[in-house]
Amino acid sequence: MKTLALWLYRRLAYAFPHEFQMLYGADVVRTGEEAVEEISERHGFWGLFPLLADIALRVPVEYLAEMRRDLVYALRTLAKSRGFAAVGIISLGLGMGVAATSASQFFTMILKDLPDVREPGHLAMLQGASYPYFEHYRDQHDLFAAVAAFRLAVPFNISLQGANARPERIFGQVVSPEYLDLLGITPQRGRLFDPAVDKPGEAPVVFLTDRFWRDRMDADPNAVGRVIRVNGQPATVIGVGPKDFLGIMPIIASEIFVPTTAPANMVPELAGDILHKNEKAFGVLFRLAPGISIDSAEAGLDSLTRHLDQETLDPARNAKGRRVTMSPGGKILPIPREMMPAMYGFTFLLIGLILALACMNLANMQLARAAVRRREVAIRLSVGASRFRLIRQLLTESVLLALAGGAAGLAFAYWATSAFRKVQVSRAIPIHIEMHPDGHVLLLTFLLSLAAGVGFGLAPALAATKTDLASTLKEGAVAQMRGYRRFGMRNLLMVWQVAGALTLLLIAGFMVIGFEKSNAVEIAFDSHSMFLFSVDPVRDGYSSDRAASLFDKIRDRLKTVAGVRDVVISEATPFAPQLGGSTLTAPGDAGAPDQVVHGVAKNVVGAGYFSALDVVMLEGREFNEHDQRIDTAKTVALPAILNQTAAQEFFGHKDPLGRRLAETGKSYDVVGVVKDLSAPMSQTSRGSMQTSIPVVYLPLTRGDLSSPPLNGMTILIRTSHDPAGAIEGVRNEMSALDPNLAIFNLRTLAEDVEQNTSYLRRSSIIYGGIGGFGLILAAIGLSGVTAYSVARRRKEIGIRMALGARKTQVLRLVLRESGVLVAVGSVLGLAMGFAVARLMSSLTSLFGNAFTASVRDPRLIIGAPLLLAALAMLACYIPARRSTKIDPLQALREE
Amino acid sequence: MPRPDAFLPVKTNWFHILLSLAGGEQHGYGIMQEVLDRTGGKVRLWPATLYGSLKRLIEAGLIEESDQRPRQFDDPRRKYYRLTRLGRRVLDAESERLQELVRILQMKRGLEVS
Repeated sequence: MKTLALWLYRRLAYAFPHEFQMLYGADVVRTGEEAVEEISERHGFWGLFPLLADIALRVPVEYLAEMRRDLVYALRTLAKSRGFAAVGIISLGLGMGVAATSASQFFTMILKDLPDVREPGHLAMLQGASYPYFEHYRDQHDLFAAVAAFRLAVPFNISLQGANARPERIFGQVVSPEYLDLLGITPQRGRLFDPAVDKPGEAPVVFLTDRFWRDRMDADPNAVGRVIRVNGQPATVIGVGPKDFLGIMPIIASEIFVPTTAPANMVPELAGDILHKNEKAFGVLFRLAPGISIDSAEAGLDSLTRHLDQETLDPARNAKGRRVTMSPGGKILPIPREMMPAMYGFTFLLIGLILALACMNLANMQLARAAVRRREVAIRLSVGASRFRLIRQLLTESVLLALAGGAAGLAFAYWATSAFRKVQVSRAIPIHIEMHPDGHVLLLTFLLSLAAGVGFGLAPALAATKTDLASTLKEGAVAQMRGYRRFGMRNLLMVWQVAGALTLLLIAGFMVIGFEKSNAVEIAFDSHSMFLFSVDPVRDGYSSDRAASLFDKIRDRLKTVAGVRDVVISEATPFAPQLGGSTLTAPGDAGAPDQVVHGVAKNVVGAGYFSALDVVMLEGREFNEHDQRIDTAKTVALPAILNQTAAQEFFGHKDPLGRRLAETGKSYDVVGVVKDLSAPMSQTSRGSMQTSIPVVYLPLTRGDLSSPPLNGMTILIRTSHDPAGAIEGVRNEMSALDPNLAIFNLRTLAEDVEQNTSYLRRSSIIYGGIGGFGLILAAIGLSGVTAYSVARRRKEIGIRMALGARKTQVLRLVLRESGVLVAVGSVLGLAMGFAVARLMSSLTSLFGNAFTASVRDPRLIIGAPLLLAALAMLACYIPARRSTKIDPLQALREE
Repeated sequence: MPRPDAFLPVKTNWFHILLSLAGGEQHGYGIMQEVLDRTGGKVRLWPATLYGSLKRLIEAGLIEESDQRPRQFDDPRRKYYRLTRLGRRVLDAESERLQELVRILQMKRGLEVS
């Protein structure tokens, strides 16, 4: 027993840190050996335990003590070279900051679950289904535990104090009574909607979010049971949701929930018997049955939908491919699964590249520093410090630096996300982005910094401690690193850094120029001479008939205002993003298959829309007053105007005039063709950015006037001169018509377009910033390397100058080395940039357009490498100039 | 030289070591034995703790290694330690502090009794 204890004791004694062992190891062992005898005599067998426990505890304590000393030493050395520390912390901080910002965006938008919702992983949704279809889906009990229909971003004019108070316009959702129960939220007050209780014909009810209840009702404890006015109609509050609940897709904040059982005079979206019509006006939310995956649910739903399409004679019933696409419903954004890899990939590629650049810089700086400190290292090694100990010391420094950089990065991320939150993306819908770095991001940043510190500190530390002591001590700090090698780690790092920076610059450039090219807005006239404003009479309490005649009056009266050239009433605003969400079919000629086109945008526009925009019809005619009076109930087919893309996709080279298009429950006759109008930021239903989306223009009818879209009815006023004076006249005329009619979103066309593209401009700034950041990092790295190389070759330069070399010759000598590195790096970077662009555009249509639009742009292909090379050479030149200031006598006298 | 007050109150282990060295040079095992004897076997400085404390005492400048060997027959490999001037003053200051505490306690006791 004693021998075993002694054996263990010796093992533990050898585990002490090297330094401690050198000084006391033998003593500890000897004292232990002596004590064992005496202890076992005095205390017996059990007395040996405290002896072992004591040494087992002391080993880690000694290590901690050494680490503390390392830390203090590291702090002191970093404090001594503040410039080095600052550059390291800033470059790593920027890298970490960009990474942490993207990561928090990623976590909040893509990974985070909906708040307050039960088992969000079991939720799925699909967009664009009719209510009758939803009722069929609801019966699939083997696939779904529950199913609900919803409509997002529905505006409501709300007043809390009776009918006469000025209402506030807020956004909410119209949902089927199953919705709240399906989500599994627990109301903090009152009850949820209940299909058994909330039936059509009952007194209207609404469910409020906590935000509405706090902000607008001052957290009234008696809120449940109170009657508020919704679009002028009384409705009873039945419940208040839990604290963070904003419905599904909280990025479009919903403050109020209204059941589909509400009367149509309260919710214009429910007008026209839409619950029984085959109109794809709703989204459907599913709670998957236990054990059902989203894929199998989609497959089941697909065959059901196919079957239903056959029954309802849907015009697109014979189209190939999936009929429905489900996306996860429990997240902040329902991103289709097929887009996930591209989104993950691009985000991580960018983050990785930026971090790699920052880390390479750190490694490079550490290498340069290690070279300068070789003398110190050699002395410490020769007086008996262990190599492991020195490596640990150097690592402590780089980890400390990296952690400081990580902290700086987090600060940057907090600043950036709070700045991002203030951004208003769209005028029509209140997009609400709640984003702040959370625990995940904190942990990720910490781990990344730690990894960067260890990973990129280890190699330099290994290199620094692997030296030939005698020669280093003899030669001093100017000694070369194990012989200068062309493919040494430093040179490779430099090449990669230039390559990485160029790749980053190119990708950023592709994005910026691509966005710019694919989203340029072409307007044929001065966009300041048109202004737009919106009204929403139905939600101001007008009946549909009164609303329709109001629009007639508006048009007639405003035309008389001085300076007004055209007045157009329209649902769609010109040069706005097109959302291609519809599927239309052109029936084929005898025997030929039907031409089905997905991702078509529909724009409802009033008479004279195109002439007000100075757009000439390519073929046929545009809508007139007559079209605006069409009664949809009695008409077989509405007239339609196609843009060129649509004409091409439906009919190819054939003449589209007079042909027919069909959609679920509707059909249209083509009466005209216009050129494609600019539509920045347009999207198809699959979420991909597109430049040319097929657009079908439909005339504004009486029915449209009584159920305006979510941003109200827009009135376009084209002025002949002096828009300011005309605005004044229009305002007076409008208040003469009805002083209580709310006019909102008054803006010029120029402002409107700017708002629509502001997101793009911001993206461009961000990408430009990322590219610039890569440039700066590369410049820092290059100038560090050159400075080091000048310092290293001090003596050689001194000799050359003593022998009569001119300053320019010396300068050229120094610059040549960096020049080669820059050139090699540039070639590599160009190749990498193109490879990434190729990969990204093949992987996804999300960036495809941006990349294809810009990949051949000479500004980029020539400009980016030139810019980088120029900056790089400048970064080299500044330290290189120092070489010419070397005094040959002094340089030779050293040592 | 740092002020002796800066080290007060002295940790128990340190105090025992300083006390053991007050009589002259001593080696590690000797210190361990002396503390054991002095406290009647109640306090034992286990070897690893002992050398850890010795290392820190040397770093703090309270003790130093001694090259004088008090007994010729001793193992020449053993390291001997002795108090530095600072160490002696710290020991004095600590003793005074303890005496002061004892005096205050006795005074209070005296007050209670009377």
